[in-house]
Formats: sequence, C-alpha cells, structure tokens
Amino acid sequence: MLQTKEKKKREKYDVVSNIIIIVFALLNLFPLYWLFTSSLKNSSDVIKMPPDWWPKTFSFSNYVDVFNNQPALRWTLNSLFVAGVSTILVVIASSMAAYAFSKLNFFGKNMLFVVFISSLMVPKEVMIVPLFRITQDLGMVNSLWGMIWPNVATAFGVFLLKGFFDSVPDALREAARIDGAGEMRTFLQILLPIVKPGIGALFILNFVQVWNDYLWQLVIGQDKNVKTLMVGIATLMQDLNPNFAYKMAGATVAAVPMLLIFLLFQRYFTRGIAGGAVKE
Amino acid sequence: MKLRNYHWKENVTGYLFILPQFLMFLIFIVYPIIEGIRLSLYKVQFNQETFVGFDNYVTLFHDPVFFKSIYNTVIFVVFIVLLTVGFSIFVASSVFDKNAKYVSFIRGSYYIPVMVSMVVMSMVWGFLLNPANGLISYAAREMDFSIVNLLGNKHTVLPVIIFVTFATNVGQAIILYIAAMIGVPKDLFEAAEVDGASRVRIIFQILIPLVKPTTIYITIINIIAVLKIFVVIQLLTGGGPNNASVTMMYYLYNNAFKYNQLGVASAVGVIMFLITMLLSIPQLRAMFKEK
Repeated sequence: MLQTKEKKKREKYDVVSNIIIIVFALLNLFPLYWLFTSSLKNSSDVIKMPPDWWPKTFSFSNYVDVFNNQPALRWTLNSLFVAGVSTILVVIASSMAAYAFSKLNFFGKNMLFVVFISSLMVPKEVMIVPLFRITQDLGMVNSLWGMIWPNVATAFGVFLLKGFFDSVPDALREAARIDGAGEMRTFLQILLPIVKPGIGALFILNFVQVWNDYLWQLVIGQDKNVKTLMVGIATLMQDLNPNFAYKMAGATVAAVPMLLIFLLFQRYFTRGIAGGAVKE
Repeated sequence: MKLRNYHWKENVTGYLFILPQFLMFLIFIVYPIIEGIRLSLYKVQFNQETFVGFDNYVTLFHDPVFFKSIYNTVIFVVFIVLLTVGFSIFVASSVFDKNAKYVSFIRGSYYIPVMVSMVVMSMVWGFLLNPANGLISYAAREMDFSIVNLLGNKHTVLPVIIFVTFATNVGQAIILYIAAMIGVPKDLFEAAEVDGASRVRIIFQILIPLVKPTTIYITIINIIAVLKIFVVIQLLTGGGPNNASVTMMYYLYNNAFKYNQLGVASAVGVIMFLITMLLSIPQLRAMFKEK
C-alpha cells in the first residue's frame, strides 16, 4: 500500500525516516559487535587506545579461561534445566487451564479468569521477601527447584493460549465427545494438536523469559554450583581479573544460546509477542 | 435429573483442569501478597517477629535515600516509556508497508538486544563506558569532553541509564507496533491517498489513532517493567555515585538481602504492589471490554 499502481515517487519523509532507522539499527547492533570482537582479543589489545576495530589476532584463550576458571558449563546446564523444566510445567498447567476457560462451563469461570488475568500485572520481584521465605520454608533455597516453581504461577500462558483455544470451533470438541472420547482425551488428542502454534509460541517466549530472568535466580542460587548462566556470568563483572576480553567472552557465552534460538524461531516470536498483546 | 448430573460433572471437570494453575497461583502469588502485607507491619529479626504497626512505613518516609529511589524510578519510567513509545511508533510507521525481508531485518536488529538480555547488554555497556579503557570514554577524551566517566557523574548517570535501558528494550515495542500496523485495513490508506494526504498526515491521523490499544498495552507493560528496573543498576552503577542512581527495586533488594531489614523491604514491596495495581487498571478495563 501507500504506493498505488500508477505512481509513484517515494515521499521525502519516507526515504529520510528509513535511512535514520537503518543507521540506528546498525548503531544498536554495534555493542554486540564490540562484545564479540573484544572477546577474541588478547588482554592488552582489548584496552588499546585507539582501539583495533577488528581483532589483529584471534585468540580463543578467553573462552578457555571462562570454562576453566568458572563452572560455566555447569551454569549453562543449570540454566537449561531451570528454563526447560519451568517451561514444560508452564505449558502443562496453562494449556489445561486455558482449555477449561475456553471450552468448559463451570461455576465462577468468568470471575476466576478475571482474577488470574489481574495477577499478570504484578511482577514477582515486588513480593520477593515473602516469596523468598516461602521458598525457604519449602527447603528450596539454593536449589534449582526453588528457581523453577514460582515461574509456573504466571498467568501469561493461560491468557495467550485461551485465544488460540477460542478460535477452535466448538463443534470439533462436541464431535469427539459424541464419539465417546473422555474430556482428557478430547483435550490431549483433538484440541491440543490444533493449538500447537500457540504452544510453540508460549514455549519459546517462556523459555527465553526464564533464561534471561536474573533477580530471583540471583537470590536463590547462592553456591557457585547452583548459579544459572546469567547470574554466574554477571559475577565476572565484579571478578578481580581485570581482563575485559575475559569478561566479554563470558558475556558472549551467555548471549549465544539466545541468539541462536532467535534466529531459528523468529516467526514464533513475532506471533507469540503479538498474539499475547491486543488481538484483532 | 440427568441434566443436573451432567452439569455437576462438567463443573468438577472444569475445576480439575484449572487446579494445577490455581494451586500455583495461590502458593506463589496470592499467599506472598498477603504475607508481604503482614510482614510490612512487623520487625523481623532472625526467627523473631514483633508487631510494630506502621513503623516500617514511617522509617521509609524518613529516609532520604528512599525518596531518591522514588524520584529516580519516576524519572526512569517517564523518560524510558516516552522514548520507547515515540521511537517505536516512528520505526514501525516507516517500515510496516515495506517488503517482508526488510521488515524482518529491522525487527531483528532491534529485537536481538532484547533476546541477549539486560545482563549481557549491561556488561557490554559497562565495558564501553569504563573510564579507564572503554570506547565511549576514549571518544569523550579525544573530543575534549569535560566528563569522561559518564557513570560516575551524578548529572550524567541518569541519562546514560535511560539510554541504555531504552536501546536494549525498544525492540519489543517495535514488534508489537509493526504487527498492529500491518493489521490496519489497507483501503483506509488508499482512500486518504486519493484525497492527496501526505504520508506524515496519514501516520498521524489514521495510523496512530488506530493502534491506540497497542499503545496502551505497550505503555503499561513498559511502566511495570521499568518500575522493577534492577539489573542495569546493579551491574553498571551499584546505585551510585552516592545513591544518585538508586531505584526502588534496588533499594528493596539491599534492604532485604544486604541489611536484613525484611520488614522495611516488605513495606517497599507493598508500596510497589499498590502502584502496579493502580497503573494496570486501564489495561485490565480495556481487556474486559474486549470480551
């Protein structure tokens, strides 16, 4: 649109604004470029002024150091476990609830949905003191499970998936019920496969959200070996080692998995983020 | 009789399906809120709790650092949200009608910092701004700029944090706006073009009013996200220099996990909870109107 068939020259505003946007986009990516290239420099080149815009020699020793001096592999596995298990639990709990809110009739349904959705706006960090004490009482401080459970309470998945369930015609479910399928079977075998795009979007968004979560994991993972990647890598910032290339290598290790996920699943992001917002 | 039996069964099925989510909700959201309000009225020392009424709140309102944290948080919320909404409307409205490859390139370049996380981005910015060997400090020296340590100066620290947070997070708003603008019916633009309206006029008079629900949504989620701003403060400034960049969340964290003032920290939490609830009323109202 904006260009009907017969014409036409792009308006000046359109050209100028897009040039500005491209320049800003490249500037916005510059810190990441600087991160990657710095991580490959040696400890003296990285602080050289004027700087080398491209590393003169490539050295991977910073990466070796990160994995040798720090339990970085362990941190990565911890993050995978925390983000993976949280997300699986979120998908199970919220797909069941979303199905019920969309397709079943029960007393108090609308009121309960309102209550759930209201909780979307409360960040868990605000209640971090009582949340910490509950986790303590459950014996899960300094354990990966303590990082996992509070994530499962989020109503975001219920909200996102209800939209997907709503778009499935009721007739489908009724047909399955007439054929004698129980409620659980109808849910698992008929409805769930249809809302798979929604599950995919929820899975990825939630995984990234937990992976990048910081404060709660910082508070719960106290020993070096129960830290997650983000929290562990952030400690390098305060590390006595003054080598910035080493710190940047650590930050790169923390950045790469999410970059890969984004490049592989870009369309799920667009769909999920937009789907979770205002529909139609 | 048969009918009633059926209803009863459907009720139970419904409850069973929401049970797991509901339990999590009670344990990790409802109970902490109630417990947080209770704790804010107590002085907590190890395992001993003494009821002190509103003393914790009184303490807070006598602490200049707490006022500083409110002030900074408000400044951050106002500037970051305005920048985010303004810039993402500018980007999305210029890009949304271009070809798909270009759109996904722009979306990607602004969204990658969001993906990479505030922790990683804070570390890079910390390096760039490092007074001894950061690129930005080097550039500031070369250009004879009077301030080299931008994070160590109480006049520049807030603008720098506003910029870093904005630049890292604006991608999410851009994705939302592009999606919303692609969804606007095309005949509206064509009609306006036939009337000879310029692109700027179309953007201001058609596009922006039509994506208002998105604007409300983006404003609210960003207000709430900035309200709990923490990572960038901890990694870049530690609240300094001299508390110049302390925020409410950082203040809460320090009271809870450094000074062991659990009652005071809970009181900060309750205040923040009330603010988020108040701010989210328009969003919630909009969502229920939609139903």
